[in-house]
Amino acid sequence: MLKTEKNKNDNLVIEKIKNTLIKASSSFRPDKIKLLKDRVKEEKNGLLKWVLESIIENEKIAKKNKTPLCDDTGIPHILLEVGPNSKFDYRLLENIEKGISKGLEELPGRPMAVRGNDIQRIEQSQGLYHKSSDLKLAPIGIKKMKKDGLKINILMQGGGPEIRATTKRVFHQRKISIIIDEIITLSKDEIKRLGCTPCTLAIGIGRTHYEANSLMLEAMIRGRFNKQNKIEKEITKRLNESNIGPLGLSGGNTVLATFLCVGPQRASGVRIVSLRPCCIIEPRVASCFL
Amino acid sequence: MSLILTTPISDLDIKKMSVRDIVYISGYIYAGRDSVLPKIVDLIKKKKDIKGVNLVGSVIFHTAVSSAGVGPTSSNKVEIESSFFDLSRAGVKIHLGKGALGDKTVKILKKFNSVYAVVPPISALLSSKILEKKIVAFPEEGMEALHLLKVEKLPIIVAIANGESIYSS
Repeated sequence: MLKTEKNKNDNLVIEKIKNTLIKASSSFRPDKIKLLKDRVKEEKNGLLKWVLESIIENEKIAKKNKTPLCDDTGIPHILLEVGPNSKFDYRLLENIEKGISKGLEELPGRPMAVRGNDIQRIEQSQGLYHKSSDLKLAPIGIKKMKKDGLKINILMQGGGPEIRATTKRVFHQRKISIIIDEIITLSKDEIKRLGCTPCTLAIGIGRTHYEANSLMLEAMIRGRFNKQNKIEKEITKRLNESNIGPLGLSGGNTVLATFLCVGPQRASGVRIVSLRPCCIIEPRVASCFL
Repeated sequence: MSLILTTPISDLDIKKMSVRDIVYISGYIYAGRDSVLPKIVDLIKKKKDIKGVNLVGSVIFHTAVSSAGVGPTSSNKVEIESSFFDLSRAGVKIHLGKGALGDKTVKILKKFNSVYAVVPPISALLSSKILEKKIVAFPEEGMEALHLLKVEKLPIIVAIANGESIYSS
């Protein structure tokens, strides 16, 4: 490939990544909008209806202006899916990083990268960088896919759900009901303290903490509000009986949906469950093909 | 019930509030969160004034202020919830954020006749309610510095007032 062609290709990738980040940060997927509108119709309490309507109105404005849904624009995470005959290299990874920086700059992302060495960053003693684009991308996950090409999935992970997320070992005693009961118990108090409800529960179940967390992120990407399996429906139903409601104001709209991703399991009495109560703004996910 | 109030907030205004009321706030409010609230508490404890800051009758919105907008952060973070006692004692009337708070905080708010209110995470919508913004203290904290915001009809929902809490089971 000629140098000019290479540069043209680089710019194309950077632009696609930038636009995907902005899309993830400023809009809901259609299945989520439809579900929210249905919940508004069903809601009888005027105050709770107002909360749900304001969430829909907020999305309309953010989508139109391509501005953040929430001021906590989140930490960018990427799952890269690689099809047969496709390859990626150092240059592509660099372009992905450039696209992320450009997206954060244009959105704009919240300038929240912390300055300093290890201890200074932990203690936040040297203040923050001023530019949104100084925020670093989390480590990239990579998976195979059947379709040819490269698929870039971008997630923007907010701080509130991170405070409430947990990864825990559960002794399953060969019963799915024990896993579900534990998920319900772990979730209830965290959702109440999350505040930004109704939430979406993202769950990954795997062999290790790393694997369970990766599966939880995959659940956020693949989950659909209009396509729920039996376990997902049961978890949503039981949590909606908790009467936490939108913003903790009580009522049946505590959880919009559950997104579950179950991976390979260990020959053992233990399962590792990663649980993330995603706030009403999340999952902030968008994808593009290269 | 819905109320329309202009800052500063009086003791009488607080007495009128009940949980689940929507209150529309206009006027000047402060914005501060994890980094800056403990610093303010420290100054209050040392009986030092913060130049240009008057907490009597004030509202503190637990938010960062940046080009990405404003929006509530979790008020139950240690740095924030532990600030309620000293800030309320110093005259803060409305603590504005999100998430359930403990019974101890409910008692603190009652003792000082202050309230806790929540706001939905609607940053795009809230941007039209912010008329002015400026840093008033601790500029080194960047988006987490203490900001003064001029707001117009900022919609908030009362979550804890007069010893009552929407989070009590």
